[in-house]
Amino acid sequence: MIGQLLAIWQADTAFPSGGFAFSNGLEGLAALSGPIDEMELENVVANALRRRWASADRVALARAYRVADDLDRVEAIDREVEASTLAEPFRLGSRRNGASLIAAHARIGTPGAREFQGRVRQGRALGHLPVAQGVLWRGAGLDAASAMLASGYVALSGFTTAAVRLGLLGAVSAQGIVRRLLPLLAELAAAPLPSRIESFSPRLDIAAMRHARGEVRLFSN
Amino acid sequence: MLEWGATQGIGPRTSSAARIGIGGPVGSGKTALIERLIPALDARNVDFAVVTNDLVTKEDAERLRRSGLIDPERVSAVEAGACPHTVIREDPTLNMAAGDDLESRFPGLELVIFESGGDNLASTFSLDLVDWWMFVIDVAGGDDIPRKKGPGVLKCDLLVVNKVDLAPHVGVDLSSMLAEAQAARGERPVVATNARSGEGVDTVADMICRAVLFHT
Repeated sequence: MIGQLLAIWQADTAFPSGGFAFSNGLEGLAALSGPIDEMELENVVANALRRRWASADRVALARAYRVADDLDRVEAIDREVEASTLAEPFRLGSRRNGASLIAAHARIGTPGAREFQGRVRQGRALGHLPVAQGVLWRGAGLDAASAMLASGYVALSGFTTAAVRLGLLGAVSAQGIVRRLLPLLAELAAAPLPSRIESFSPRLDIAAMRHARGEVRLFSN
Repeated sequence: MLEWGATQGIGPRTSSAARIGIGGPVGSGKTALIERLIPALDARNVDFAVVTNDLVTKEDAERLRRSGLIDPERVSAVEAGACPHTVIREDPTLNMAAGDDLESRFPGLELVIFESGGDNLASTFSLDLVDWWMFVIDVAGGDDIPRKKGPGVLKCDLLVVNKVDLAPHVGVDLSSMLAEAQAARGERPVVATNARSGEGVDTVADMICRAVLFHT
């Protein structure tokens, strides 16, 4: 049971990780597209889960988790994430979100967190969020499958939480989207891992890049 | 399964610079106070940097960077994700990481100042983030603010009542407002300032130096 509890602990938005400051393209999309209704929002989030979380974040997390005790190999995964993330706001956001998660784990004494934080501070590792999740959650004692589910849930709830703060829908309706997408998340988490890290979310990429130049914005990306 | 051992769990920060917070309602004069504190801290030979938490822009960070008072590289901006409260209290990790980054870039840094994006009277700083914090209110916000006894007013290490020069223009009896503020806070300090003229700023700078830098 402890494995499940550890996953709930890390997926809980009460765990400080900086994630609340990132809309991952949603704020830019809302600015570009005008009002987004609930069905469209659900499609946007589902596509982001399929084309970005499942094909990129999930792969980076699984690999980092596997080699968490060999930080030289972790650094290589970090560089692959950097190279395969087209939009700069997503690259920077992932690194900042990762640095925040590392800061929290370093503070509470998660095994391996301080060493990884040292590598990031030296500039040797980039500390992308999924890579940090892999390293830290292995240290924290999550099993690989639970770490995968926690990562997916954090991605899903991050979108819906941002949508509520952007006023795209209400907090209760947002949970309807979460509930409807949980089966998709479970299916994606169980799928075989692709051989390379890749993402394809052109609408969100473009929206995030335009958003980065905006003067007025609530979210970091 | 790794178990948390006696040597794990919550440990001390690895950072060495003292960290202080400046919170308070929007428009109370937090950025203006920092602009006055910069030369005051320079005069006291304090090696410092600033992190701002703007709500929807980088207005405060840009204002400080362009002020000519401080090396722009020593000013970092953290976007608050529409949650100025969260970023200093429930989830201060973005600010913690920004402070870590400044310490890495400026070895020997003694002090990092975190400026809140501006919030309401319930705003408080997490002690995970700062060692000491002040709350800035202003007389134009109403002389009833101390009587409302918000957590910001009550829990801060220093309450700053700013814009004291405006008191006669907004119908505020300053001495009565300060007395009520002091009564609400008991023994904890209250300082009156006018960030435009600099009145009271040296007192604030001295209190920072004594509280977290242990300057005598």
